[in-house]
Amino acid sequence: MDKLSKEEVLHVAHLARISLTDEEIEKFRVQLKVLMDDIDKIKDVKDYDDEMMYTPIEDNTRLREDIVGEMLSAKDVGINAPAKNGSFIEVPVMINE
Amino acid sequence: MSKYLDLSIKEIHELLVKKEITPLDLVDEALKRIEENKDLNAFITINDKVREEAKNLGEVDPNNLFFGIPIAVKDNIITKDLKTTCASHILDNFIPIYDATVVTRIKENKMLIIGKANMDEFAMGSTSETSYFGAPLNPHDKKRTAGGSSGGSASAVSSSLVPLALGSDTGGSIRQPASYTGIVGMKPTYGRISRYGLVAFASSLDQIGPMTRTVYENASLLNILVGEDEKDLTSVKKNKEDFTRLIGKSIKGIKIALPKFFISDIVDKEISNRIKDVINYLEQNGAVVDIVDMKYLDTAVNLYQIIAMAEASSNLARFDGVRYGFRAKDVDSVDEMYGKTRGEGFGDEVKRRIMVGSYILSGENAKVYYDKALKVRDDITKEFNRIFKDYDLIIGPTTTRIAPLIGTSADDPHKAFMDDVLVIPVNMAGLPGLSVPVGKNSNNMPIGLHIIGKAFDEATIYKLASFLEEVF
Repeated sequence: MDKLSKEEVLHVAHLARISLTDEEIEKFRVQLKVLMDDIDKIKDVKDYDDEMMYTPIEDNTRLREDIVGEMLSAKDVGINAPAKNGSFIEVPVMINE
Repeated sequence: MSKYLDLSIKEIHELLVKKEITPLDLVDEALKRIEENKDLNAFITINDKVREEAKNLGEVDPNNLFFGIPIAVKDNIITKDLKTTCASHILDNFIPIYDATVVTRIKENKMLIIGKANMDEFAMGSTSETSYFGAPLNPHDKKRTAGGSSGGSASAVSSSLVPLALGSDTGGSIRQPASYTGIVGMKPTYGRISRYGLVAFASSLDQIGPMTRTVYENASLLNILVGEDEKDLTSVKKNKEDFTRLIGKSIKGIKIALPKFFISDIVDKEISNRIKDVINYLEQNGAVVDIVDMKYLDTAVNLYQIIAMAEASSNLARFDGVRYGFRAKDVDSVDEMYGKTRGEGFGDEVKRRIMVGSYILSGENAKVYYDKALKVRDDITKEFNRIFKDYDLIIGPTTTRIAPLIGTSADDPHKAFMDDVLVIPVNMAGLPGLSVPVGKNSNNMPIGLHIIGKAFDEATIYKLASFLEEVF
C-alpha cells in the first residue's frame, strides 16, 4: 500500500504542532496518503476561470464602528485557564537565558 | 407517563396557554425520556439547572410559540455556564463565559436548553463516531449511526426526547443526519444566522440551522434564529419575513431541476426509485421537473476537503493548552506544551484534517490547492446560479444510502467525506438546503429528499417540503 515516509508525516505534524506516538506515525503514513491523493485530484480540474470565491457573502468588508463595547472581566476570561498565577495565565518558560 | 412531547409545538403551546401543563412538566418528561433512552447517547451534557429555569417560567404567561419548550443544542454552540465540549477531550471541561447569539435568541424566547447534543469531534465526520464520548445511535435501528456531524441532535429529535434541536452544517452535517433519522433539517443560506459562538470549523462554510420533526416547526424555529448580528460580520441584514408563509400553498407551476449527478449510479437503487416516486407525484400535482446537466458537482467533495481542512487547520490553532481546555502534563517548553496538548487532546479524524490542512496552506501549496479550490468554488456557484435562472428549486436524494452500520466507517479517512457527496455542493455556494423525509426503504430506514433553494429563499423550500411531508 502507498504510504508517506515517516519524515513526511513528521513534517506535517510539525506544521500542525501535533506530537505523535510511533504507533500514530505508522497509522498516519497510510491515512494521510489517502487524503493527500484526494486533494491532488484538484489538479485534474482543467476547465475553470480565475475568479476566486473566498466567502458566499457579497459584502465582506462591512465593519462595525470602532467604539468600546461590552467587555469580559479578567476573572471570567481566566476561568478556563489550565494553570494560573494570580490573575495571570501560567505557561512553561518561554525564554532560556 | 405523560406524552406531551409527542404533540406538535402548537398543541403543546395551547396546553401551556390554558395552564393545563407547565414548562416543568415538559422538562421532566424530556429528562425522563433521556434517562430511559440513555443508550442512544444523544447528549454529552444535561443542563442541571433546567428544572429550576422551568420552575421560574411557571408563573409567566406564554408569549410566543416556543415559550417553555425544551430544546437540544449541538455541543459546538457555546452556552454560558453550561459545559461545551465539541465532543473533544481537548475541551471536555470547558465552561463558556458567554452565550452564542442563537442561544441568546432561544433564551429570549424562553426556550429551555435541556442539554448539549452529541456530535462528531469538532463537527468533523459523517457518523458522529469521532465523538470522544462515543457515537449517538439511530433510533430507527440502534445498530446504525444517526449520521453526522449533528448526530446527537438528530437522534434526540427523531426519538422525541425533545421536539427541537440546533445543529450546524459545514458539509451536510444537519441535512445528512436528518435524512438518516427521518427528521427535517435545514441549512439556511450562509449569512442568515449569526455564527457568533459557534466554535469555528470552516468559517466560509459553517452555518447553524434547525432540526425538527415537522416542516412547520422547522420554519417557525428559523424565524427566531435569523438576523444580522454585529458580532458576526458575515451575518446579513434582511427584512424580517415569516418562513412559514408559503406552507400549504399550491405547488402548481413550480419549476424544479434534478441534476443528473444526483440520480447517478452512486445512489442506492431503492433511494433512486423513491426519488422517482416523488418526481411522479410532483408532476401529477402541476410541478415541472426537468433532469438537467450541472457541471462541477462531482468536484465538490474535493473542494470541500481542501477548503474545510485548510480553514480547520487555521481555526483549530487556538487550541494550544494556554487559555482554556486540556493541557498536557510534564512539559518543559511551550513548544512541547503545544505539541503534546494537541497530540493528546485531539482524536484521529481531527488530527488528520489539521495536518493535511496545514500542509495545504504551507508555502506554495496554498496556490496549488487552496487558491485553485476557491476558483472552482466560484465556478460551481455560478453553475447553481445558471440553473436558478430557469428553476425555482433543485432536488435530489440527501444521501446515497441509508444510515450506515456503526463501526463500518472507522479508520477510513476517505469515507467520511463521501457520505456527504450530495449535500456538500450547497455549502460551496452558500445556498439554503433542507432534508425532508420521503418514506422508508425495505429495511424500514428513512430516506430523505434534499431540496436546494436560491440564496435567501428558504420560504420556497419549506413550501415544497410541506407539500411532500403530507404524503410520504
